[in-house]
Amino acid sequence: MTEEKKAHYGRFLRQFRRNQKAMIGLLIILGLVLTALFAPVIAPHDPEATNIPDRELAPSLEHPMGTDDLGRDILSRVMFGTQISLYVGFTSISAAMIMGTTIGVVAGYYQGKIDEGLMRAMDAMMSFPPILLALTIVAVLEPSLNNVIIALALVYTPFIARVARSAALSVRNESYVEAAIARGESDRYIIFREVLPNCVGPLLVQASINIAFTMLLEASLSFLGLGVQPPTPSWGLMINQGWAFMGDAPWLVFFPALAIAIAVIGFNLLGDGLRDVLDPKGEIIE
Amino acid sequence: MAFASYLVKRLGFMAVTLFLVTLITFGLTNVLPGNVALLILGPNATEESLAQLETQLGLNQPLYVQYVDWIVGLARGDMGMSLRYNTPVAEQIAIRLPRSLLLAISATIVSVTLSIPLGIIAAVRKNTPADLTASMLAFIGLSLPIFLWGLVFIFVFALNLGAFPTRGYVSPAEDPIAALHYLILPAGAMGVALTAYIMRMTRSSMIDELSEDYVEFARAKGLSEQTVVLRHALKNAAIPVITVIAFQFSYAFGGVVVLEEVFSWPGIGRLTLTAIENRDIPLLQGCIIVIALIYMVSNFLADAFYAYVDPRIRYGGEK
Repeated sequence: MTEEKKAHYGRFLRQFRRNQKAMIGLLIILGLVLTALFAPVIAPHDPEATNIPDRELAPSLEHPMGTDDLGRDILSRVMFGTQISLYVGFTSISAAMIMGTTIGVVAGYYQGKIDEGLMRAMDAMMSFPPILLALTIVAVLEPSLNNVIIALALVYTPFIARVARSAALSVRNESYVEAAIARGESDRYIIFREVLPNCVGPLLVQASINIAFTMLLEASLSFLGLGVQPPTPSWGLMINQGWAFMGDAPWLVFFPALAIAIAVIGFNLLGDGLRDVLDPKGEIIE
Repeated sequence: MAFASYLVKRLGFMAVTLFLVTLITFGLTNVLPGNVALLILGPNATEESLAQLETQLGLNQPLYVQYVDWIVGLARGDMGMSLRYNTPVAEQIAIRLPRSLLLAISATIVSVTLSIPLGIIAAVRKNTPADLTASMLAFIGLSLPIFLWGLVFIFVFALNLGAFPTRGYVSPAEDPIAALHYLILPAGAMGVALTAYIMRMTRSSMIDELSEDYVEFARAKGLSEQTVVLRHALKNAAIPVITVIAFQFSYAFGGVVVLEEVFSWPGIGRLTLTAIENRDIPLLQGCIIVIALIYMVSNFLADAFYAYVDPRIRYGGEK
């Protein structure tokens, strides 16, 4: 790493640490990751063990979040649900990042007809409301955890591609890229060494905010029964199943809903904070 | 670039996009698992009757022929027959669509009446506890899925207060009072969900305007603070806000798919879900294309309006 890059990186870290939003967001995410990792150890009960006589118990010491209509411990289910939510969020956005960055950087670097073609295709995908596109894809593939991930990755690819394209486009016209082209460097060298590293900032912001969106969308799909299938403890699915009992046992819906809100707030805060630090004027597509 | 040529260019883009949208819709719905003829005739159907029905429905034609048939029909407003209801798809959509539009428009009205005053107050009292509270609430508002807002509203206003019915729909033409009664909760829930964005936009845009020189000038002239804020700053701050409202309408229209399920609202969103459940491909294709078209057009209008009032946008390419 050159001195200049080190200084740049150091400045970023200092500003990041001083940004309250980013730090709170990071803390929440850290809490979620730990909960997901240690769910098998810290969960007080088996999340899938039914116990009909103990159904719909109100929150108590034994069951801090109560039990559901099948007598399952809601706290344990919410904890295991963290695994599903994070898994869906991280895998679908990683896949969307790989596809979207490739498309966006190729479009922004080569421009012309390639750019036109790729971006019109992205526009077409963005012409569907995200939930509609996601649920049609899931319906086509049959509802399951992996197919939800595929659908969400496809839905969010164009959002990433747009950000990557505009970042690549602005880097493309910088003098150091022109210089690299004049030196006769290969396209691959320029893309990987010059263009990509300069797209990282805006892409990180977009990815963080999009993870929040995938979590909302996964919850909505599961709520419609077009997502993760029972008895897997997904937050959206827990709400789907608890909804009918909301009048007498609101905790069936309340706690998974709270979990969704906390997770989404965490990623939104991180994204907002990152944007403040990395790219104060950057425009994010929401 | 003149606005007219900008508009022509964007319309050209939209035509290409629309073509791709029909391709995606047709492609996706045709890989939907399940044999349509078998679904209609049931498991006891004979080979011959299945083959006969497939010929009748044009299902034995190559896919590109089916696609062209579909597009030609679409251009004439003919979306085929629903497999499940055995009525024209266009007729079904014509009944359901206005109900969804009613919901989305009402939600947009609710959110505008809530968010603009809140945004102005937050901007005028920048960095005070009132502003921080409003901004924090908006942040939390952004972090709940629309369907959860629906459940919260049902829980509070229907189950606990008993003020409104939990679900259902009454046509305004039949009984306007009852219709309003059924509309308030779903429109309110979606309106609140949308409030956060518009409020944030109003706030930041008002803060920008309030720091401009002309605001200082107006104050120096001795105009009252109320006049300065409401007559001068608000007028200029309104431009980005109106754009956001137009985007929010399209967002609301996307949200109806889920919210209609929560409130048993018989609009196009629930029709889409029913079509998926029944593998009713012509109906599903019709629903998707109509929803996408409305979503596209409202986004386009928002873009065009923005470009019209802010010429800088026209030079920046498409975004």
